[in-house]
Amino acid sequence: MKAPLLFLSLSLLAISCTTLEPCEEDSISEVVASFKTESGGLVSDTTISALTVYGIREGQDIWLLYDSVAYSEILLPLDPHHDFSRFVFETGEQTDTLTLPHNSEIYLISYSCGFGNQFTLGRDIQYGAGMFVNDTIINPIVNTSLEEVDTHIWLYF
Amino acid sequence: MIHISGSISKAGLLVLLILTLWRPASGQDTLRTYGPRFGLDLARFAFILADPSELGAEVSVDFEIIRNLYPVIELGYNSIAESEDYFKYAASGFYGRIGLDYNLINLKDRSQHHAFTFGARYGISVFSHSAEDIYIPNPYWGDYVSETYEKDLTGHWIELVAGIKAELVPNLFMGWSLRYKFLLNPGMDPQVQAQMVPGYGNGGKDSGFGISYSIFYKIPLLKK
Repeated sequence: MKAPLLFLSLSLLAISCTTLEPCEEDSISEVVASFKTESGGLVSDTTISALTVYGIREGQDIWLLYDSVAYSEILLPLDPHHDFSRFVFETGEQTDTLTLPHNSEIYLISYSCGFGNQFTLGRDIQYGAGMFVNDTIINPIVNTSLEEVDTHIWLYF
Repeated sequence: MIHISGSISKAGLLVLLILTLWRPASGQDTLRTYGPRFGLDLARFAFILADPSELGAEVSVDFEIIRNLYPVIELGYNSIAESEDYFKYAASGFYGRIGLDYNLINLKDRSQHHAFTFGARYGISVFSHSAEDIYIPNPYWGDYVSETYEKDLTGHWIELVAGIKAELVPNLFMGWSLRYKFLLNPGMDPQVQAQMVPGYGNGGKDSGFGISYSIFYKIPLLKK
């Protein structure tokens, strides 16, 4: 009887078709912040020279993100443990603290990569009077994928 | 929206194809099976051997109501439980399919019951999926451990089916079918993509193939 042979061959075909794609994405969700200047209603890109950025964790040591390099755009990882993320910016003699409010939920990146945090930025971005003069949220959704996102926020100096 | 409109157009083509193939009987006594034919999908047991984390069973019933035209109902259950590096995933639920098969073998000898069929199904699955022990590594803010995620879902899909049934001994059939499936609501859970839609397969794929290999028994309720 040929039926068992057919059954076996079809089963082997089904087994051979099972694959798991490797993970090509990390689990860190980062805000893309672009630096801007505004003059006479005209917004233009700008580069901040000698920029140093620290992250501030509640009850823990601060950690260095960027160390005295010129940037026109930076990536800021968001804190999944709190409803805000806080960063200190230093340029020469100027210092400011940027607080990004957000809420978050988990989502499945892929079966091979596992889960990540997806954040929604709040509108009440806070900073002192030292460095930033304004902000604009371009895209409030922040997750691990940066492929379709140019910028999340503009920070005006 | 694109998925839904595309699926509707595919479903329309499918209906058109069935109506094209279906030619009602012009004779009188033309039915072949004369009773409901119950089936058990044996391929499910082979899949368990290949992947013990996935369990399933499927039964079916068809009945020739018009010459060469067989309404079909298929019912089943699927579950999956897998453990990955950073989470555990589980899904389980029941499904049903309803549709028609058309026998393309136009034998004049009505005692011959072999069939090469082409048909279509509409499938629906009611299931739940969950993840637990979710661990998200984060070198900046510290690793994040989440509570259990769980959601109840409903999946809808359409299948094109081609298959063979051979009568080994009177009323006992074996046969296989090859199925091309396309999911009507692939974004049923935008937060956690369903890794297994019972009766359909991987919810992360808008379309895919399936195989069944079944044994059938026809209950000869009516005599020729």
